[in-house]
Amino acid sequence: MAIECLVLGAGQEVGKSCVVVTIGGKRVMFDCGMHMGYHDHRHYPDFARALTAWGAPDFTTAISCVVITHFHLDHIGALPYFTEVCGYHGPIYMTYPTKALAPFMLEDYRKVTMDQRGEEEQYSYEDILRCMKKVIPMDLKQTVQVDKDLVIRAYYAGHVIGAAMIYAKVGDAAMVYTGDYNMTPDRHLGAAQIDLLKLDLLITESTYAKTIRDSKHAREREFLKAVHKCVSGGGKVLIPTFALGRAQELCMLLDDYWERMDLKVPIYFSAGLTIQANVYYKMLIGWTSQKIKDSHAVHNPFDFKHVWHFERSFINNPGPCVLFATPGMISGGFSLEAFKKWAPSEKNLITLPGYCVSGTIGHKLMCGKPTRIDYKDTHIDVRCQIHQLAFSPHTDSKGIMDLTEFLSPKHVILVHGEKPQMAFLKERIESELGMPCYFPGNNESVSIPTTQNLKMSATERFITSCAVEQGKRSLHKRNLICRTGLSEVIGSDEEAVEGVLLMEKHKSPKILCEDELLEVLGMERHLVQFEPMVSRIVAAVESELQRAKAADLDSDGK
Amino acid sequence: MGDPHLLSSAHPTAAAAAAASSSAREHPGPIDEDLAAPDPSPSVAKRPRVAAEPPASGGCVPYVEADVRALVSMAGGIYPLARAEALRGLTAVLEKVDPSSRASVVITECSYQCAVVLMRDDDNGVRLAVVRLVDACARNFSARLDFDADGYGDLMDMIFLQLSSMARDMCTQVRMEAFAALGKMQRVSEGVLLQSLYKKVIKTDSMDVSIINGQKLPPKLKIPCAAGIFSHGIEDEFYQVRRTACKSLGALAKFSTQYTEKALDLLMDMMNDDSEAVRLQTLEALFHMATYGCLSVQEKHMHMFLGLLVDANALIRDAALKILGLVNMPKLQIFKSAVDGLITSLEKYPEEQDIYGILFSIGKNHGSFSANIAKHLAKEITMASDGELILDKPRVKALLIVSISAPFSDDKHKKLNIPSIIFSHAIPLLEKVSCALGGEVSQDSLLSYLCHKGGMPFWENRSVSAEFGESESCNVEKVEIGAHVENTAKETKCLDEVLVMQSMKSILEIVEGSWTMRMPCNVCEVRSILRTCKEELRLLAENSSGSIGAFLSFLSEYLDAILFIVEIWQLIQLDNPYTFGLTSLDILLEKLDMSVRRMEYCYVGLNRVLEVQVLELSLIAHLFRLSKIAVCSKVVLGKLLWVINRLEDLCADGSCELSDFSREIKKACDTSPTGDNLIGSINNLFQLFRLKPTTDFGMLKVINAGLRVCDNNSENPLQYICGLPVGVSFKISLWNVSSHHRLWLRMTIGESMQHTFLEFSGFGGNDEVKSGSMVAPLYATPKACSFVLRGSAPTREDMEDRVIVWFNSLMN
Repeated sequence: MAIECLVLGAGQEVGKSCVVVTIGGKRVMFDCGMHMGYHDHRHYPDFARALTAWGAPDFTTAISCVVITHFHLDHIGALPYFTEVCGYHGPIYMTYPTKALAPFMLEDYRKVTMDQRGEEEQYSYEDILRCMKKVIPMDLKQTVQVDKDLVIRAYYAGHVIGAAMIYAKVGDAAMVYTGDYNMTPDRHLGAAQIDLLKLDLLITESTYAKTIRDSKHAREREFLKAVHKCVSGGGKVLIPTFALGRAQELCMLLDDYWERMDLKVPIYFSAGLTIQANVYYKMLIGWTSQKIKDSHAVHNPFDFKHVWHFERSFINNPGPCVLFATPGMISGGFSLEAFKKWAPSEKNLITLPGYCVSGTIGHKLMCGKPTRIDYKDTHIDVRCQIHQLAFSPHTDSKGIMDLTEFLSPKHVILVHGEKPQMAFLKERIESELGMPCYFPGNNESVSIPTTQNLKMSATERFITSCAVEQGKRSLHKRNLICRTGLSEVIGSDEEAVEGVLLMEKHKSPKILCEDELLEVLGMERHLVQFEPMVSRIVAAVESELQRAKAADLDSDGK
Repeated sequence: MGDPHLLSSAHPTAAAAAAASSSAREHPGPIDEDLAAPDPSPSVAKRPRVAAEPPASGGCVPYVEADVRALVSMAGGIYPLARAEALRGLTAVLEKVDPSSRASVVITECSYQCAVVLMRDDDNGVRLAVVRLVDACARNFSARLDFDADGYGDLMDMIFLQLSSMARDMCTQVRMEAFAALGKMQRVSEGVLLQSLYKKVIKTDSMDVSIINGQKLPPKLKIPCAAGIFSHGIEDEFYQVRRTACKSLGALAKFSTQYTEKALDLLMDMMNDDSEAVRLQTLEALFHMATYGCLSVQEKHMHMFLGLLVDANALIRDAALKILGLVNMPKLQIFKSAVDGLITSLEKYPEEQDIYGILFSIGKNHGSFSANIAKHLAKEITMASDGELILDKPRVKALLIVSISAPFSDDKHKKLNIPSIIFSHAIPLLEKVSCALGGEVSQDSLLSYLCHKGGMPFWENRSVSAEFGESESCNVEKVEIGAHVENTAKETKCLDEVLVMQSMKSILEIVEGSWTMRMPCNVCEVRSILRTCKEELRLLAENSSGSIGAFLSFLSEYLDAILFIVEIWQLIQLDNPYTFGLTSLDILLEKLDMSVRRMEYCYVGLNRVLEVQVLELSLIAHLFRLSKIAVCSKVVLGKLLWVINRLEDLCADGSCELSDFSREIKKACDTSPTGDNLIGSINNLFQLFRLKPTTDFGMLKVINAGLRVCDNNSENPLQYICGLPVGVSFKISLWNVSSHHRLWLRMTIGESMQHTFLEFSGFGGNDEVKSGSMVAPLYATPKACSFVLRGSAPTREDMEDRVIVWFNSLMN
C-alpha cells in the first residue's frame, strides 16, 4: 500500500494551497486556495487536469472529502469555485471559527476584485452562501468518521483563529497535513499543539524554511518603546492593520501596557471589519490562547479597557492618540486618509506590518524612508517616524524542525514555501532527522510506501515459553547489574524467542511453539535420518532405501 | 515477544530469588560461574569487589536492587499508567538511597538508562515521569562528582541536552517539569548553557569535542536540541511554564558570567509579560543574579527598568527598587537615567519612602558618579536665588541624598570632592540619611558630621574644631564615621545566627542566675531582671526569622510563664490563701495556664528537652492550683499524674534525666494517692524547682494564623438584616499548620460566641504557609442597628490572628 500525494497548489511557491492525498484508496483534498498574485488560469489550482489524471467521471466520486485548515484566501479562496463551478458535492470539513469567518473573507475579496479590478465574476455571493451550507463544522480533537475507513481529526495550529492541523487515517496508514501553523504563541492565540502520533507522512508548510527568528519579546519591547516615546512626546501613532489577528494582538499588547504604565492616551479603532472581528473573537474564546481562556471568566479580554469610541472627525483632534486603521498596507481606505493627515508631522509615528505588496504606500515606506510620496496627484510630505513590525503568524525553521522531530513521521513533504529555502530545509531534515523529505512542484505527485501491520495471534504455550525465557534472562541481568552496570542489560532485551509462524488460507496467522506444530496441523512426526555411506555398500542398501521412500509417500498421501 | 504484562509480573520473584541466591552464596552468580569456569583469572579479579559490596552499602541493598530490577522491567510494559508508575517508583528509590554509596551508582545508572529509553514515549504521563526520574538521576550523579569529576562533565551535559529536548514537548506539564529540572542542574558546560539561550546553533569546535568524547550519543541528541530552549520557554503559552523557565534562567546564572549577560537580555524582555506572576518571578531571578554580583545593566535595558519603577503594581515597583539598589551601572549616563527614573517614581508615588534608601545605596555603590551629581547640584544651589530652590521638591531631595551618599562609597582610592554646600543643605534630610544607613549611626554623630563638612558651627564639636585645624578635624571625623558606618551597616546586615545565639545564651544565663538568687533576695529585683531579659529577647526576635525566630518567641513565652510563677509565689507567701472570690491570684494562675498551654500547642517540632521544660512548668502550675484550693481536687490531681507519666515517658530512654523536682512530686503522689502529702510539702517542693533553659531548639516552628476581612472598616461596614444569618468572608493565612491540626474560627459579639470549624484542606500553599478564604456564616445576628464582631482563630493570643468586623443593619 502507498500514499499518493498530488500537489495542486503551493508546491514550491506560496499561494493557492491545495494538496490531494490518496491514502488507503481514499482521496482527500486538503485546502482549496487561490493565488492572489495571478489573475489568469494560474489563479486557481488546475482541477480539470487532476480529474483526467484520476480518470473519474466527476469530482464528487473522485474525492472522498475536502478539508479546509483556516480562512485565509490562499487556503479557502477556490472553494466556492470548486463546489459551485466545478461541481463537487461531497462533504467539506472545517473548524467552527473558519466556517463563521470564511464567508466574510470570501465576500470581501469578491467585492474588491469586482469593484477595483473589474474582473469577470467567477462566482456570486449566492454561490458563497450555497457553498458554506455544505460545510460540516468540526471541533478540535474531534474524531470525524468520514466514511467506513477514513477518519480525520483537527489539532490546534495557532496561526489565525480557527486554524487547524489535520490528521487523516485509513487503516494503518496515517498522515498529518499542517496547513499554516505557529509554534510560538502570541498574545491572543496559542501555539500549535498535537499528540504524539505514529505517522507515515507529514505535509508541512515551510514559509520560513531558512529563517530562525529570535525572541518575540525583543520585538514587542521595541514596538512598545517606540509607541510610548511617541505618545509621551505628544505625537499620534497610526497602526495600519488587517482586520483579523494582528489588530487584536497589537491592541492587547498596548492595552496591557497602558494598564501597567497607567497611561491615559486614547486608543481608537477605525470603524469597519475590525470591530466586527472583535465581536467574533468574543464569541470564539475557546479557540484563543490559554491566558485569554483563563481570564475570560473574569473579564473578556477583547473588551479593551483603553479603547475609546471613535469618529471620523477625531482625526483632526489635537493631542496624542493611537489609531488602528484598515487596510494594512495603506493602499486606500481610512488608513490612507489618516496617513495623509499625520505623515507631515515629525512627532507622529507610523508602524508598518511585516509584509507589504509592492505598489502600495506601505511598500514605498518600507523600502527606505522617502521624504515625499506622490499618490494620485496629491503629494504627501513624510516627516513622521516609521517603525516596522516584524510579527509573523508562521512558524520559523526551528519550529518546523521541532514539530517534525516531535512527530517523527516516516516521510516529510514540504509545501507552501520558496524553492531554494525548501531545498535547504530538506537537507536539514534528511541529515539531522534522517527522514526522507520531498518538495514537489505544482501538479507533481509523490508516492510514499506505507507500513502494513499484520495482526496475528499466539498460542498459550508460546507465551508461556516466552515468559520462562524472559525470567531466565532476568536472572542473568541481575548479575550484570551487580558487576558491570547497564550497557549489557539493555542489549539483552533484544534477544528473540523462537517460534513458528503459521499462515493458512482463510485463517488469521498464528505463532506457535515448535512442538505444537504437528498438533495443530494434525500430522504425525516423521524422522528423516541421514547416514554417511561408503560407495561400496550403496548398492546393498539401495533397495531397502527405496522401500522406505515408498512408505513415506504412502503416509503423505493419507 | 509475548505479553509483557505477564512478563513483568514474573520478574520480582525471579529477581528476588536471584538476590537471595547471590547473597547467600556471596558469589557473582550462576552465569558468571559458567563463564568463569574455563579461565579463573577474571573471576578472581572480580570476586573481591563484589564480595566486599554488601557490607559497604548496608544490608538493604539486595532488596533495593530487586526493587529496581522489577521496576525497570515494569517500565517496559505495554500499559502507560503502569509504565509511569514504575518510573515514579524508581524516582522514589533514587530519592531514598544515599547518593554517595556504591549501590546508588549502579541504581542511578540503571534508572537513567531506563528513563532514556522511555523519553519519546507516546503517553504524556510517562514522559512526565521520565523527566522527574532524569532529574533525580542528575542529582545523584552530581552528588558523587567530587570523586569522579572528569568523566561526568560530559554526562551532565548530556542530561542537560536530554532535558532540553523534553522542554519542547507538547504537554505543558512535561515542559514545566523539564524546565524545573534544568534549573536544578548542578553542573553544565558553558557552551551548552550559551546554546540554550540562542535558537541559532553556535558552532564551536570545543563543544563538539566535549560531547563526542563522552559516551556514544544517539544521532538526534546533539547540541542543537538545546538550541534556544530558554527563548522558547519564556515565550510559552502557559504562564506556569514561563515562570519556571524564568526561575531556571536565574538559577543557572551562577555557572557562567557570559551566560548571565545574555540571560539578562531575555529576562529583561519578560517584563512585558502579561502575567503578573511571571513578571514577579523574573524580578526574583534578576534579584538572585544581582546578589551573585553578576548583574550589569546596559543602556538598552534602562527603558524597561525605568518603566518598572513607575509600574502600577506596588509589588513590582518594590522588587525593581531592590534590584536597582544592587546592580552595577557601568556608565554615568545609565546612572543618571536611573536616578531620574527613581525621581519620577518618587513624584508619582510620594508615599514610598524606601526610594530614598535605594537612592542612597546606588549613590554609595557608584561613588564617582554621585560625586558628579553632587557637583552639578552644588552649582544649581548656588545659582538659584533665595526661595527658588525648594528643598521639599522630591527631585532636590533625591539629588541631595545621592550626593550625600558619595562620601560613604567604597571608592576610597579616589578623592571625592563633595562641595560643602551639599552637606549643609542635607541637614534637613538627616532623618532620611540615617534611615538609609540602617539607623545604626546615631543621628547626633551624623548631624555633627554633616555640620562639620558643611562648615557650620556645632556645639558638641566646637571645641574640637577650635583646637585642631578645620580640615584635619574633618578628615579624622570623616574617616571615623565612615568606618563606623561601614561596620555598623555590615553588622546589621549580618546580624546572623551566631550573634543571636550568643546573646540568647547570655540572656538565658542571666535568667537562670536570677532564679537561683531569687530565694534569698527580694522578688522585685528578679522581676525587673526578667522583664529586661524579655525586652531584649523581643528586640532579637524582631530581626530574626525561621527556627531561631520561633525559638525566640518560645523563650519570651517561657519568660512570661516564669514571671507569672514568681508573682504567684510572692502572692502565695504573702496572702492568706483562704480567701473567697476572684482574686489576683486566680487571674495570675489562669494566665500561667494559658502561657503553658501556648507553649505546648502553638509550636511544632518541640524537642524532648523543651517538652520536659514545658511539662515542668505545667507541673508547677498544677501545684499552685492545689495549694490555692488547699483541698485535693481530683481533676487537678489527675492532670498532675498525667503530666508526671508523660515526663517519665520522655525520660524513659535516658536521653534526659527526671529532675529532682518532678521526682519528689512523683514520690509524693505515689505515697498518697489522695495527694495530701503534696499540699503539705508544697514549700519544699517549690524549693527544688530549678530553671534549666536550653538553647538547643532543633526545628522549631510557630503555629500562627492571620485573619483578614476585605473591604470592611468602621466607615464601610457589612450589611445585615437583624436576626437573619449573615456570611462573613474571611481571608485566612495559616503558618505551620499541618493537616492533622483542628482549628476553629471564633466569632465574638459582646458576650455571645460562635465557633466555626476551619476546613483548610482546600487552602492553597505548602506546609509552611497555607492561605485561602472562607465564608463563615454568623447565625445569630443581634437585634441592633450595628455591632462589632471580633473574629479570631485562636493560635497565639497576642498575634495578628484577630480581626474586627463592623456591621450595619439594613433596617435603619
